[in-house]
Amino acid sequence: MLIFGTLRSGLYALAAVGLALSVGVIGIVNFAHGEFLMLGAYLGYWLFASYGVDPLAAIPLGAAGLFALGGALYRTAIQRVLRAPELNQMLLTFGIAIFLQNLAVILWSGDPRTAAIPYKASALTLGPFTIGLPQVVVFALAMGLTVALYAVLGRTRVGKAMRAVAQDRVGAAIVGVEVDRIYLLAFGLSVALAGTAGLMITLQLSASPYMGLLYTLKAFAIIVMAGLGNIGAVVYASLVLGLAEAFVEFYVPNGGGWSEGVFFLLILLVLLVRPRGLFQ
Amino acid sequence: MSLLALDEVTKAFGGLVAVSDLSFEVRDGEVLALIGPNGAGKSTTFNLISGLLAPDRGRITFDGRDVTRLPPPVRAHLGIGRTFQVMQPFHDMTVLENVMVGELFGHGTPKSLAAARRDAEGICRLVGLDHLMDREPAGLGVADLKRLEVARALATHPRLLLLDEVMAGLRPPEVDQAVQMLRGLRRAGITLLLIDHVIRSVRDLADRVVVLNFGRKIAEGTFAEVARDPAVVQAYLGEADA
Amino acid sequence: MTASRALSLSRPGRLAGRLGVPLLLAAALAWPFLTVRTQPYLLQLSLNILIFAVLAVSWDLLARTGQLSLAHAAFYGLGAYTSALLATRLHVPIPLAMLAGGGLAVVCAVGLGVLTLRLRGIYFAIATLAFTETLRVVAKQVRFFGAATGLVVPPLFPASLVAQYLVILAVLLATLLVSWSVNRSRWSFAFTAIRTNEAVAAVMGVDVVRFKVAAFALSAFFAGLTGAYYAHVFLFINPFEVFSLAVSVGALVAPIFGGLYTTAGPLLGAVVLRAGEEALRATIRSGYLIIYGGILAVVVLYMPRGLLGVLTGLRLRRPPAVAVTAAPPVGGEGP
Repeated sequence: MLIFGTLRSGLYALAAVGLALSVGVIGIVNFAHGEFLMLGAYLGYWLFASYGVDPLAAIPLGAAGLFALGGALYRTAIQRVLRAPELNQMLLTFGIAIFLQNLAVILWSGDPRTAAIPYKASALTLGPFTIGLPQVVVFALAMGLTVALYAVLGRTRVGKAMRAVAQDRVGAAIVGVEVDRIYLLAFGLSVALAGTAGLMITLQLSASPYMGLLYTLKAFAIIVMAGLGNIGAVVYASLVLGLAEAFVEFYVPNGGGWSEGVFFLLILLVLLVRPRGLFQ
Repeated sequence: MSLLALDEVTKAFGGLVAVSDLSFEVRDGEVLALIGPNGAGKSTTFNLISGLLAPDRGRITFDGRDVTRLPPPVRAHLGIGRTFQVMQPFHDMTVLENVMVGELFGHGTPKSLAAARRDAEGICRLVGLDHLMDREPAGLGVADLKRLEVARALATHPRLLLLDEVMAGLRPPEVDQAVQMLRGLRRAGITLLLIDHVIRSVRDLADRVVVLNFGRKIAEGTFAEVARDPAVVQAYLGEADA
Repeated sequence: MTASRALSLSRPGRLAGRLGVPLLLAAALAWPFLTVRTQPYLLQLSLNILIFAVLAVSWDLLARTGQLSLAHAAFYGLGAYTSALLATRLHVPIPLAMLAGGGLAVVCAVGLGVLTLRLRGIYFAIATLAFTETLRVVAKQVRFFGAATGLVVPPLFPASLVAQYLVILAVLLATLLVSWSVNRSRWSFAFTAIRTNEAVAAVMGVDVVRFKVAAFALSAFFAGLTGAYYAHVFLFINPFEVFSLAVSVGALVAPIFGGLYTTAGPLLGAVVLRAGEEALRATIRSGYLIIYGGILAVVVLYMPRGLLGVLTGLRLRRPPAVAVTAAPPVGGEGP
């Protein structure tokens, strides 16, 4: 159970860190975050089904494409509501989410699409445990990317600029940071990360139009637990979610169905009891 | 007679202590000024008095009642009114409607809409807003917005009025007008507790002054006494140095 | 009075309103009798539109306090399940069961309202969404509530589509009356003040807690009652349908599209959207919710006062907010 939970948390971390970036740097809670993950998943499916491309190999291309999509969306819509009241921002991204979700339903029908990747069913045996190979690969890759992101934020000029803007956008602007460009980059990156997570999901699960909202909410649960703007704690919060879900699945009777509700419960609990997050 | 009394009030945010063991009283009918360098804890004190924040320790007594745990609306009904430093009018309403909110809800006993409207119009005339009553706050100048803040607070018929940097952003002639208006309020029997950086208005209005620095009271007395106090001078000059 | 003052109509507009309302009412009352034999499909569609309208108008009530809730489906579903269970298991007469459905919704709303008092904006929305989804998962898992297969529900006036229509029309009229009276009373001052700036409202003596919770309760009552109605008219409920996001989204988009914080706005929005949805359903079998998403985005970006604003010919000096947020709490940060 511990292993399952931990492995799953890798993917969750990747899915959530993009949202954390968007919230921390730009200050917008992108309700449509999961929809980009969904788009990534469909992209992975399509690339595999049509061209036999392994989703993992498609990551660079997919990420770039989604980055461009994110940038375009930022310029056309997001940018316009940055100065509007917070609720307008929420409504806009919510509208985009509903739009994308149903666009997927129209284009690709409501049935899930599963990519029949050859090594999907293969497993590793580690002592007494059998773990699916895709899970391990995804975990490793997701963790790797997350760590790489932390490195980028910590060491590169762009990353530092992003952190500066996240802390104090007026101050950053005074120092000469082009805040709007940073927003554009951060949003694009956030979307790209979501899409990448989506591509990875193709390895394990199917792509369905409704998966987006699910991941948006899970990502939200994670960033609320981590504490808003606390990008560093996302990894730990993902562990909490991954393990909690695994726990319910294993030890609660008929747990599979109940684990769907775990993250909701976590959201409710954290927001009501410790709104500043568990890791502040 | 003491109208408001703070007794060893302390408030900290995480590691930062905003207000520490603060004790002072405001006497009925007087004008007390709360001054101090930036970050001294003045706004926090106002928030504690009006009920938007709860103290970690200490007691707040108003008109003989312990109000430390009472929520803001109840304190308003008891007679504590305040204005805000960052002007925050209700923007979906006209100036008159803004003031009506105070008339409608500022006292324990409900008023009819018509009576509230009448009384609100009276208050608008009193502060000099009667020509702007049907306009929305957006687009009003600083001086008029300040008048609106005061009008809204007055509509709750306070016995103690907390004035948060009312003079900030006003030009000298406007400051004089404001001082006149506040003197008028004082004559009408309202006790005033004000925060301000405009020393001139403090000198002209205040009966007594309390000086804060780093959340602690460092001096108390008349303006003249406080101005001579070396600790006060140090606090202000020390800040200018840094 | 306050919000609608901003949308106050010109003289001809007001006259049209005064003549229009009795006319509309007469038409609405005559409608079922005219169509029941010739166009029963249209009458059935009207039922759906009326249900949607009640949800929209009642959602707007809560929105006036600045609480944009995604829990409307939760109360809808609670009403449906409560009424269905009371009628089937305890043989409670249907009208009473329906009222009980509304009543339970109120109780839950008060509880949720108190718990979420400190949450603003998106955190409130997400918490309410979490609440709804938790209910959905519970309904899906527990056998007593019918689990995933759902419940079969005893019918209300099974023989008469006309009677069913009149019931929901009565509910809508009640909702409209509540909405309209609130907007003309001191309550609208309180709501608008709370919505604009809770801290200032509190300091001015507005009992913020009481008004926020009251708004929640009122809003939830009508949602619950309507959910119960839905159950007894459509005879079958399952967690996926009644607790669905589509219900909450619809209840949210219609007032925003039609004109927030008014009485006519949500009604107008609901009628236009639902009728439009029906027209679209002919071409797109599922996924027609896409229109709601698109409309929401477009309205936020370009039409902040909604359809009503456009129709009453508002000229705006600066882009106003679709929904106005309270200023950050004076004491500190955080959700």
